Amino acid sequence: MRVLLAEDDAETAGFVAHGLRELGHIVTPAAAGEDALHLGIVETFDVIVLDRMMPGIDGIEVLRRWRAAGVTTPVLMLTALGGIADRVSGLDAGADDYLVKPFAFAELAARLAALRRRPPISEVATRLEVGDIALDMLKRQVRRAGREIHLQPRELALLELLMRHAGKVVTRTMFLEQVWGFHFDPQTNIVETHLSRLRSKLKGDDGAPDPIETLRGIGYRMRA
Amino acid sequence: MIRPFGSAAYRIAFTYSAAFALAIVLLGAIVYVAADADFRHQQDVGLAVETRDLAASYREEGLADLAEAIGTREQPSATNGYGYALFDRSGRRVAGALRTRRPAPGFGTIPFIDPREGPDIARALTTDLPGGYRLVVAQDTENVERFDRTILSLFGVAFGLVVLLGIGAALLLGGYLRRRLERLSAPARAIVTGDLDRRMPVSAGHDEFDQLALALNAMLDRIAQLLDNLRQVSSDVAHDLRTPLARLRGQLEAAIDGPREIAAYRTGLKRALVQSDALLGLFAAILRISEIEGGAVKRTFARIDLTDLVTDLCDSFAPAIADNGRTLACDTAPGLALSGDRELLAQALINLLDNAQHHTPPGTHITVAAAGDAVTVRLTVADDGPGVAPEDRERITRRFARLDSSRGTPGHGLGLNLVVAVAQVHGGAVTIDDNRPGLRVTMTLPRLAE
Repeated sequence: MRVLLAEDDAETAGFVAHGLRELGHIVTPAAAGEDALHLGIVETFDVIVLDRMMPGIDGIEVLRRWRAAGVTTPVLMLTALGGIADRVSGLDAGADDYLVKPFAFAELAARLAALRRRPPISEVATRLEVGDIALDMLKRQVRRAGREIHLQPRELALLELLMRHAGKVVTRTMFLEQVWGFHFDPQTNIVETHLSRLRSKLKGDDGAPDPIETLRGIGYRMRA
Repeated sequence: MIRPFGSAAYRIAFTYSAAFALAIVLLGAIVYVAADADFRHQQDVGLAVETRDLAASYREEGLADLAEAIGTREQPSATNGYGYALFDRSGRRVAGALRTRRPAPGFGTIPFIDPREGPDIARALTTDLPGGYRLVVAQDTENVERFDRTILSLFGVAFGLVVLLGIGAALLLGGYLRRRLERLSAPARAIVTGDLDRRMPVSAGHDEFDQLALALNAMLDRIAQLLDNLRQVSSDVAHDLRTPLARLRGQLEAAIDGPREIAAYRTGLKRALVQSDALLGLFAAILRISEIEGGAVKRTFARIDLTDLVTDLCDSFAPAIADNGRTLACDTAPGLALSGDRELLAQALINLLDNAQHHTPPGTHITVAAAGDAVTVRLTVADDGPGVAPEDRERITRRFARLDSSRGTPGHGLGLNLVVAVAQVHGGAVTIDDNRPGLRVTMTLPRLAE
């Protein structure tokens, strides 16, 4: 996919651009606020990585002007400011996701993949189907190959997140943010514990194949 | 040098005295007008009664009796102080000693000749009697005037006294206010020049000045605490980050000096990566605690349903704790709400749960209780593990505090420190008690009314 990388720190920009190109994405770098603002308006991207603090016009202002100009491209904001108020102001300005430096590249890549515009119909879908697993969000009912599976609310939320991003990586912090609403790392294994329970319920007693892959050090992925 | 009118204290005191003096003047004027009117009214009533008596004696007994009655009343022994004159149709005075010309009927002020003092004026009631006679009853106005003069001089003296007392009191009060304020400004100047431990004196009276001193002291304590916090963070960063940084360096060095194989390099780099992640985690924790202690998070406080939050966290953590070989039981009272930050409260509870499972042996029972009374909510995490010795209980809430018994367990010694910071930013406190056996940590927070 086409990525606009607006980041003034040459080292960070270098390693992010390198990593994204390795994954086969097309990266357009911008090192100053004015350049990023201009590129974001005249060219079309699938996602934008925007550093919050840039020379010239800062990231928040660039984002505000894009949104005012009708640019709806998903934006992931990068920042060295990890405070609660900082995150709120970034999201208020119109960011779709927020990642605090320093970050692992795998985390950034997973979040960018998740941000990429999905077909609009799936955004509001109340029925999800991946492989032989079907999830009815209204009835809060899960079936695998016709067999009903009883899940706890958290397990259901984990499954929904994985199914909505089927084929893509969901990281530990994405689970914490979207299932628990935690923007901090509680340094515990709740994600792992709940995932392991979810997996054993999905596999059932008859030992059906595990639909969830573990990518060590990166996250989890539902086989599409 | 004190300039009395440059000082708010003196200005207030003088204004107060002036207002008091003005009140005396107003009071004096009202008393004067009212008393004068009343006295004159009484004088008129006296004249009317006298006239009615004489007129009655004329109608009943005739002119001779009237003249006799006037003569009797004019006796020097008489004390009523009235003067009389009876005029006939031609204007000639036929009875009475009052030397005046015939006035018109009704009340009026008439000139007369006082046998001792010469020309004078008097208040008179003139009445026409049958037969063309005209009776004048008069009283010297000097009585009224003397009375008025007495009132005026009394109030004049009172006014003078009030002004003198007012000035005296104003000087005393102004001086007092200045002295009280000086007792606050002297420490403030000392603090400015660097004596940061100085505090405002508070007297036993608990008056407004003491309230102000208490408020200022609370503010100074808070500032001192923040400064202390800043110093502490700097020294923590300097001292406690050295160890993990040195370890990271050692791992990188070992990888370079080790066997020259890709696999060995990868192992060394992975270790270094884990180590640097731990360091970054430590930084994040320090910064987060500083952010909380700074208090800016209060701006985003909202109503938090603690019952929901605790129930939710218990549901999330019970499986993980069970997998670790301990049990979690939760007892949550309904309808507990407070004003706060959901994530911070969650993090505090998670840290307490974390401590309860990392510093206890398998098989430990962990209980979480949320309860409340009218003004507070209490969130308690207790276990029946080995507990903490009483002398260590205060110490474990400090930054980087780790007991020797926990050296081998993961963690950076900031968990309880964050819990304390979260409790304090919510206006609450943390207490650590013996759970007999085990440890009991309680966060007491202000409750939000339903």
